[in-house]
Amino acid sequence: MNLMIAILFYLATLFFVVGLFHRIRVYASTPAPLKIPTTPAPTTTGGVVLRMTREVVFFESLFKANLWTWAMGWMFHAGMALVLMRHLRYFTEPVWGWVVLIQPFGIYAGIAMLIGLCGLWTRRLFVERIRYISTPSDHLMLLLLIGIVSSGLLMQFFVHTDVIAVKNYFQGLLNFNIQPLPVDITLALHLLSVVMLLVIFPISKLLHAPGVFFSPTRNQTDNPRENRHLSTWAAKLESEK
Amino acid sequence: MADITAPAYRIIPIIPALIPDAMAGKGPYVANDKINEAIGFPGQLVEDWHDRAIAKMGELLSKYRSLKVFMDACVHCGACSDKCHYFIGTQDPKNMPVARQDLMRSVYRRYFTLPGKWFPKLVGARDLTREVLDEWHNYFYQCSECRRCSVFCPYGIDTAEVTMAAREILDSVGYGQKYSNEIIGKVHKIGNNLGLPGPALIDTLEGLEEDVKEATGIDVRFPIDVKGAEVLLITPSADFFAEPHIDSLIGYAKVFHATGTSWTLSSMSSEAGNFGMFIGNYDQLRKIAMRIRQAALELGVKRIVVGECGHAWRVAYSFWNTLTGVGDGADANDKFAQMLQKQLDHRYKQPMHICEFTWDMIEDERLSFDKSLNDKHIITFHDSCNVARGSRMGNLPGGQFEIPRNIIKAVANNFVEMSPNTTHERTFCCGGGGGLLTDDLLELRVKGALPRMEVLQQAVDEHGVNFMATICAICKAQFTKIMPIYGFDRRMVGGVHQLVSNAIILGDKK
Amino acid sequence: MANIDVGGKNYETDEEGYLVNLTDWNADIANYIAKTESIEMSDQHWEVINFLREYFEEYQIAPAVRVLTKAIGKKLGAEKGNSEYLYGLFPYGPGKQACKIAGLPKPTGCV
Repeated sequence: MNLMIAILFYLATLFFVVGLFHRIRVYASTPAPLKIPTTPAPTTTGGVVLRMTREVVFFESLFKANLWTWAMGWMFHAGMALVLMRHLRYFTEPVWGWVVLIQPFGIYAGIAMLIGLCGLWTRRLFVERIRYISTPSDHLMLLLLIGIVSSGLLMQFFVHTDVIAVKNYFQGLLNFNIQPLPVDITLALHLLSVVMLLVIFPISKLLHAPGVFFSPTRNQTDNPRENRHLSTWAAKLESEK
Repeated sequence: MADITAPAYRIIPIIPALIPDAMAGKGPYVANDKINEAIGFPGQLVEDWHDRAIAKMGELLSKYRSLKVFMDACVHCGACSDKCHYFIGTQDPKNMPVARQDLMRSVYRRYFTLPGKWFPKLVGARDLTREVLDEWHNYFYQCSECRRCSVFCPYGIDTAEVTMAAREILDSVGYGQKYSNEIIGKVHKIGNNLGLPGPALIDTLEGLEEDVKEATGIDVRFPIDVKGAEVLLITPSADFFAEPHIDSLIGYAKVFHATGTSWTLSSMSSEAGNFGMFIGNYDQLRKIAMRIRQAALELGVKRIVVGECGHAWRVAYSFWNTLTGVGDGADANDKFAQMLQKQLDHRYKQPMHICEFTWDMIEDERLSFDKSLNDKHIITFHDSCNVARGSRMGNLPGGQFEIPRNIIKAVANNFVEMSPNTTHERTFCCGGGGGLLTDDLLELRVKGALPRMEVLQQAVDEHGVNFMATICAICKAQFTKIMPIYGFDRRMVGGVHQLVSNAIILGDKK
Repeated sequence: MANIDVGGKNYETDEEGYLVNLTDWNADIANYIAKTESIEMSDQHWEVINFLREYFEEYQIAPAVRVLTKAIGKKLGAEKGNSEYLYGLFPYGPGKQACKIAGLPKPTGCV
């Protein structure tokens, strides 16, 4: 069991990292031949950084689109950010000061995540339009995330697991020295679901996370008259004639 | 066609319920061999269309980052699902932006992603069958590429980019649209979308000189092919031909006259519109734009000004510098662009919108108006989609909203706004953009105009609006056609420069 | 592509009923097409159709609406030289509907 989960974690992490980097490399190396920012758009790089920040941190466009989806989506993502940071305590020794500080908030964040996810799933199940566009994988991914969050919260509040041992285990993983993992069905469910998520990430819609940074409608500066924007393949057309 | 009626206004703008397949089989005419071959596409659907289409998709995915990211990034959140005017008007779920994209995304997943290859059902992937191809032709020609969905998408996914790619794939297998492809052929052959030959154009312009002389007593010229003129005006050919477009053309001429600007049209390059963008074909887009470069070089002009045309302004503002070098800032050893940029006068923006030109002149106090001549109008302004979300005017973001409004306020006393959820970046397409302004899509056009007509009606009821100004040839033609079906007078629509033309004081500059 | 039968002869039209070969046109075909458009051809209609054909002969395109109204006004009196008069004759729009009856190609573009 210890070894199996360890191997799965190693493989999943490898797949996640390699897959994600591959995707990012593809995005970065694919040319954007035309200027297509959705205007009004910032005219300077600084402005673009601001726009992207508003987009990534506050989900500005989604806020304009639909308040409910925004509220649920933002609660989930912001919660997840805190929860992920909270989990750093399993990977650092000694635990960084700010990670210690956010520990209590991380718990609330977990609850916010769960509420957000359930809200999103309710919308997906009961709003006709959203149900229409949903594929089985859309539902299953929400279910997987709900599974991860619930099992985590369960261990936090009801069936405490031996977190010291869990930390030892992950410290061991980092040093390629497999330690015993507490025998605990909730923990196993939690960890295996995370493995699953890592594998799915680089080959699914979860690519929206890196994708948003490469979206030309958001990350381009609006200065086509002032600067000539020319991609390599488009430039070749000029030398041909 | 007479049996097409307007859909009922929604009492409150609720999101409509779905009516699956409401618009199935209501797509456009297919382009025939003659039309397709004239612009270098296969005449008819080729035998190996499946393989060629998938190969083309692969090619586009490697050439356009937008397409690649947009195919991957959608999470089906539904933010865009109620934003498209065609969905609101037709209630066909496949006219929801996300569902329209999914027509292609499902194929992308099947052929280009692991989960789609292994578990197609699970991730909504499907084979590219003849039915799917027909569905593409039907629904990707029910998108006007207006980009309203992209405003609301948390990842900035722009359905227009997907639609363009789909049309490009369809054209590459010989399955294009009659309207767009026929027009592109005419531009290459004759120089404009209408197929208006030089002599007819010259005759029309002479007629206009007579008309303006008769109406004002002043010799306002409509020069054409004048070498060494300062300004080359590139305007949609509808401005030479259709009502109310032609009234704006008269407005431009009066502005040039009153400011003493030497200007010219070009008979070789007598079209601002560029349907190459609508079909997503870079070569066509570039080839059509090259006519403007050629005219500018041959006539030796210092400035290029673009008339009232929505998608043309997007192409001119956002793409011309890339495609043809009409712009500024080319690298010193970029010979292709430098050749033209050295000729242009960079004290002015290149290219410049006619509204920027007129507004600059108003600010410089080089134009004067009798605003009372527009007093019979209570005016509102319809932001054209391509101008609003694909371009800019002036120095600041959002100038494309302010400058036309500033002009209207400078030439008329009565101006009111329509509901803010339907103006500026949130404006609705008129319903005829993106290559859909054709009679075979009239039902779609009427239904797609619903959200705009609703708020116009509101403005009429609350403020007595009797004139809707706009700066796009497609908007003007579309509204003139469909507004009577909604019970409005077709003459309620006109250009911003039509209002300028009404009020401008000629000859008697202060 | 489609066909119409007029006076025992077969003529090719496009999907929308515009004649494909402009030389095919004759008065019978005009009357036939007008009927499919629910238009009863009168002398006033013929004035417009004839002008369109003359203009096309010279310029290879239908005249702009403004050119047409001006010409009609000169010929038939100023009170008829406006687009209302033309819309009265050809309710679907003088540009397209009259062109169709006159056997001319449909004006394309943003019109």
